[in-house]
Amino acid sequence: MKPKSETNKIFTRYDINVEVARQTARKVSEDENLQKVADCIVSGNEDELENLVKSILHIKEPMEIINGGLIAGMKEVSRLWELGVYFLPQVILSSDSMIAGIKLCEQKLGRPMEKKAKVVTHTAEGDIHDIGQVIVNALLNAAGYEVINLGADVPVDDVIEACRIHKPIIVTGTALMTTTMTAFPKIAFGLKQINLNIPFICGGGAVNEEFVTSFDLGIWGKEASQAPALAEDALNGLSWLEMRTKWNG
Amino acid sequence: MTQLAVAIDLGTSGFRAQCINISSGEILSTAITTNHPLPGSNIIDHLHFALEYGIETAHNIFIDAVNRLITELCVDTKNIVRLVVCGNPTQLSLFHGTEIKDLAFAGSRKFESMQIEIPDRDAIIIPAESITNLNLLNCDVIIPPSICHHVGADALAMIIQTSMLDKEETSISIDFGTNAEIALFHKGKIITASAAAGPALEGQEISCGVLAIPGAIADVEYSKPYFKLTLLDNDLMPVEGSLVDMSGKSQPVNSNFPKPIGITSTGTIAAMYKAIETGLISLPRICTADKRLHFGNNISFTEEDLAEAGKAIGAIRAGYLTLCKAAGISVEDIHTIYMSGAAGTYVDAKKALQVGMIPPSVKKTYQVGNTSLAMACRLAKNPNDLEFMSSLASKLRDTHYIFASSDIFKKIFILELSYWTEGMPLSMYRNFLKKYSFPALPNADGNPEIIRTVKRDIDDLGLFGLKTIPNIGRIVKRNFDQCTICNVCIDVCPTNALSILSESGSISIILNEALCRGVSCKKCEYACSIKIMTLDSFFKIHFDDKTSEEEI
Amino acid sequence: MKLSNSMAYKSAKEMIFGTALKPVKTKRGLILGGGYVIPEIVPHPRPGSEKTIKSLLREFERANEDALERCVIVGIPAIQIENEHVFQMTDNPQWGMEIAAQTAHQLDEYYEKYGLKCSYRSTIADIRKPDQIDMRNSERTDKIFEAFKYSSKYADIISIESLGGKEIFDYSIIRNDVTGLLFGQAVLGGRDMEWLWTNIVDIAKNNNCIPGGDTSCAHANTAMFMAGGFISKDIPQTLAALSRAISVSNTLVAYECGAVGPGKDCAYENPIIKAITGIPISTEGKASACAHMDLCGNLMAAVCDLWSNEAIQYTDMFGGSSSAVFTEILGYDAAALNSAIELGFQKQFQACLINSDRYRSPHSFILCPDNAWAIGKAVVDNNESLYSRARAAALKSGELMFNDPNLQFTAFEKESLTKYIKELEALPDKEDDFIDMCLKKYSKVKGFKPSSYNL
Repeated sequence: MKPKSETNKIFTRYDINVEVARQTARKVSEDENLQKVADCIVSGNEDELENLVKSILHIKEPMEIINGGLIAGMKEVSRLWELGVYFLPQVILSSDSMIAGIKLCEQKLGRPMEKKAKVVTHTAEGDIHDIGQVIVNALLNAAGYEVINLGADVPVDDVIEACRIHKPIIVTGTALMTTTMTAFPKIAFGLKQINLNIPFICGGGAVNEEFVTSFDLGIWGKEASQAPALAEDALNGLSWLEMRTKWNG
Repeated sequence: MTQLAVAIDLGTSGFRAQCINISSGEILSTAITTNHPLPGSNIIDHLHFALEYGIETAHNIFIDAVNRLITELCVDTKNIVRLVVCGNPTQLSLFHGTEIKDLAFAGSRKFESMQIEIPDRDAIIIPAESITNLNLLNCDVIIPPSICHHVGADALAMIIQTSMLDKEETSISIDFGTNAEIALFHKGKIITASAAAGPALEGQEISCGVLAIPGAIADVEYSKPYFKLTLLDNDLMPVEGSLVDMSGKSQPVNSNFPKPIGITSTGTIAAMYKAIETGLISLPRICTADKRLHFGNNISFTEEDLAEAGKAIGAIRAGYLTLCKAAGISVEDIHTIYMSGAAGTYVDAKKALQVGMIPPSVKKTYQVGNTSLAMACRLAKNPNDLEFMSSLASKLRDTHYIFASSDIFKKIFILELSYWTEGMPLSMYRNFLKKYSFPALPNADGNPEIIRTVKRDIDDLGLFGLKTIPNIGRIVKRNFDQCTICNVCIDVCPTNALSILSESGSISIILNEALCRGVSCKKCEYACSIKIMTLDSFFKIHFDDKTSEEEI
Repeated sequence: MKLSNSMAYKSAKEMIFGTALKPVKTKRGLILGGGYVIPEIVPHPRPGSEKTIKSLLREFERANEDALERCVIVGIPAIQIENEHVFQMTDNPQWGMEIAAQTAHQLDEYYEKYGLKCSYRSTIADIRKPDQIDMRNSERTDKIFEAFKYSSKYADIISIESLGGKEIFDYSIIRNDVTGLLFGQAVLGGRDMEWLWTNIVDIAKNNNCIPGGDTSCAHANTAMFMAGGFISKDIPQTLAALSRAISVSNTLVAYECGAVGPGKDCAYENPIIKAITGIPISTEGKASACAHMDLCGNLMAAVCDLWSNEAIQYTDMFGGSSSAVFTEILGYDAAALNSAIELGFQKQFQACLINSDRYRSPHSFILCPDNAWAIGKAVVDNNESLYSRARAAALKSGELMFNDPNLQFTAFEKESLTKYIKELEALPDKEDDFIDMCLKKYSKVKGFKPSSYNL
């Protein structure tokens, strides 16, 4: 007699159920359309998402789509990534999709949506190796921050100026070529001069903990993946020194 | 009088020199260093050092090392009429003592603000006397041309020495070094590029990593339930090593065999592959009690090492996939691979294929040795070939590819990062390639024909054999009378380059320059409890103030 | 000793509860494995009662009496009583004998008075401590054999739960070291059992007693308890399942030395043993919840000949003494199984039992008759050595677990199993090489003496 494969009426595998529940995206909305939006974020399907958002913008408020679908879906992706179920390339895809979706909603809204807070990111002057920054941008976007992306090979003064204008909660710097790392203490010095005591997260192959903590404002970011948690601390009002004590040393 | 020529490969991780009898073409002797004489482990470190302490300082350390190598070749220097060097643009520029700023930085804004001009790096022949401190007289020095920025004479050497351009088939050459030079040849067109693989493939920044030197682990085979080591003997030939339990649960068996002193990149690749195959590695983790693989004699391999080596392999795989995309071909189109450099020569090509270092669908692999040294030797015997090299260089100038600014490379490299450091499955990696419309990565079930054109990376060691120079850098002692001997600097130094000497009331710190990681590290400076320790005190006085310096 | 080289059953389909290919007839005419399932009640004395022979005799007398009486009260046609020796009964072999004599007398009374078909199994305690004494040469070893001699004069069946290799097993299980399980269970446990059972069978023959069988309770059940259920994570369920598969190699030795069954109830490996040998087996499942939990409460009845409760401490319950209550539970379980046989629904009933637990856990999965038979086949096909057949059993069970998509694993379980299988595949093929390796590897395990196993 062939054994039955359906066994849920006979016994319950609580061990499997708990694991599956942990490792799959949870339902985020009772609303069918918003759930579909979230599903597109979870699967990182940008094209489908754009079509969907365009069509439901006729029946739903843009902010409802953003909060109830786009951001809610992204939170699930971040959760799954922290659990080790999702991987970096998936987070980047989902993050890109979310940004595309938000852009559509903002068009309808007629103004940019309000984000949690601003962050400024850059790759050091004289360096074009910005993979680290690409990852940081995606993760910070995913975590709901407005990312002012200055790009690669950014002069010291441009970074300081961007901070003066945007007043971000953190500024990040990436460097792979050690020849370029001297730009970081110069930026920190410039920020202090205009009384901007913004936590300055420096990372990338060129810099080590000892170097970054040798100048004021500097906090060494060991991995790009730490960026959202660091931003969260700054958002909660931790000073650069408190953050350094927590993350470095 | 016998006319002699010296050929030197100025590699990023060490120098290799040979002396040649010009008339007979016979190789007389070989000398290699186990390190690069400048502090640091990659070209950026070398450039950084030169920026900080001046090109002249760096150049002088370079020339000191070259002089030492020539001495160790054990021939009468009066008979040397020709010196040929080969290497990447950084090494050749530092040797020559010329501009390096364009190599030290990237990005148009920086170039503009610093008014950096990219110098010509064409081939030149100059008299030895024009190079300060070089201990040669009446001798021509030949410096071969670069293709461009960062893709240098070493890449040309690889293309020429493999004769890859002479065949119809689609082929790829990879020089497995700190900067992996890659050349893809397809239907008469060649694309060159250089991937910053990092020093892991030269055995550096791996906790027990070493270059291909005597006593190094060069291969690992599975001999159930143990792992059989292959070491390099004094002539750099593979010899049997002991049976070890990589999980560390039991001690090595049969300890009559020579003990390993470190692991080369080929040993690393073999160990990684065998550990993955037997379940000791489940990326990104090492599944042993102490999260290390063990080889006996306190030689082990850590999870950090795994990440480093993984990223190096990943940079190369991302590199060839990117070039395939750029050339509009699929990975399967690559028929032949030429593997050069020590790692490319010694590695078991099948294991390299399994871990992802070479395109998995190639039909033929050629392992061709150190092509940079071979090219230098060829020029030493036949300086007229320089012209051919120059014409090829100018031909290739238009078709080089820069990975750092390539979105294709970035996307693939992020997949590699995720694969090696997050444990993303290869199936998902493949799905992403498909999603991005990038060339597919074939399954690693190919069984290529393996042709070794040399018996070791330096094929012919010559009549007088090989000399290994373990301490090519200077070892400098410097007085620090205020030092409290708290030893923090010694403890934080990642390469054990420092020691403290206290004798007759005077305290000195001794630095082994070649081991020092240089200006990008400076852990000793930051750690010093009374802030008197500076790298400057070793390097700034090096040439300015000879009186207070004592070389050991 | 010749290692088994063939399967008693040609296929798992032929295996059914109540019937064994080689039934065993006991003193009062009760046949085990002769067509119907017999309950086997195991009462256990309360702590303190073992202080004097008098109090212990009294305790067993009451417990056994209550069981027998309940059979008559509710109409259970046949029963087997097992008394597992507490330490004092083996340490003072005379005690064991007096209790055996008393029990035999009780059985005779009920047989004569009511015609209750009954038999008695006396299980000697293995009081040797592998990490402290020489297993083959110690005062305690002598006492065990003496206890066998004395008790076999009165009991129908004698058995033991032997402890060979327990020192290596305990060391290895907490380290998740499957190599150590193979060595401790198959190589050491098997060797100990061969020596032990050659002697036990001789003693049994001399006293016209049935040499029952042994179990890997000391090893595989320890692993099973540690693996626990769906919440505990001390050791993986899959490792416990492999330990079970490995245990076939040593438990089988008792039968290869001349034991004829019925197998011991706590040997969850018994379905595999039955497939290979055709002997009747006692098993336990849901009714042994009083002693420990398992994930195969119904499944274990699928091919049983006796149905047991493992051990229930003598105590008062609302429905009478625990001994009476559990006799009733077992009696009704057996009645249901026997009804199925009478109605010709035994295969359907067996399917119900199997489907209840087949995919509940890796451990229950490998004990389903089809899988049990397949593992048994791997054992007899790889009979070069105790080691080779144990390794083959473990590899086969790994293969079976991986190949049935309906068996679900948590990520932890799957990863663990993959690792164990790779480790097993990497081991040497020859037992001599394996022993050399293990003697080195485990030389420093506290109390391990290769001489205990003639190594």
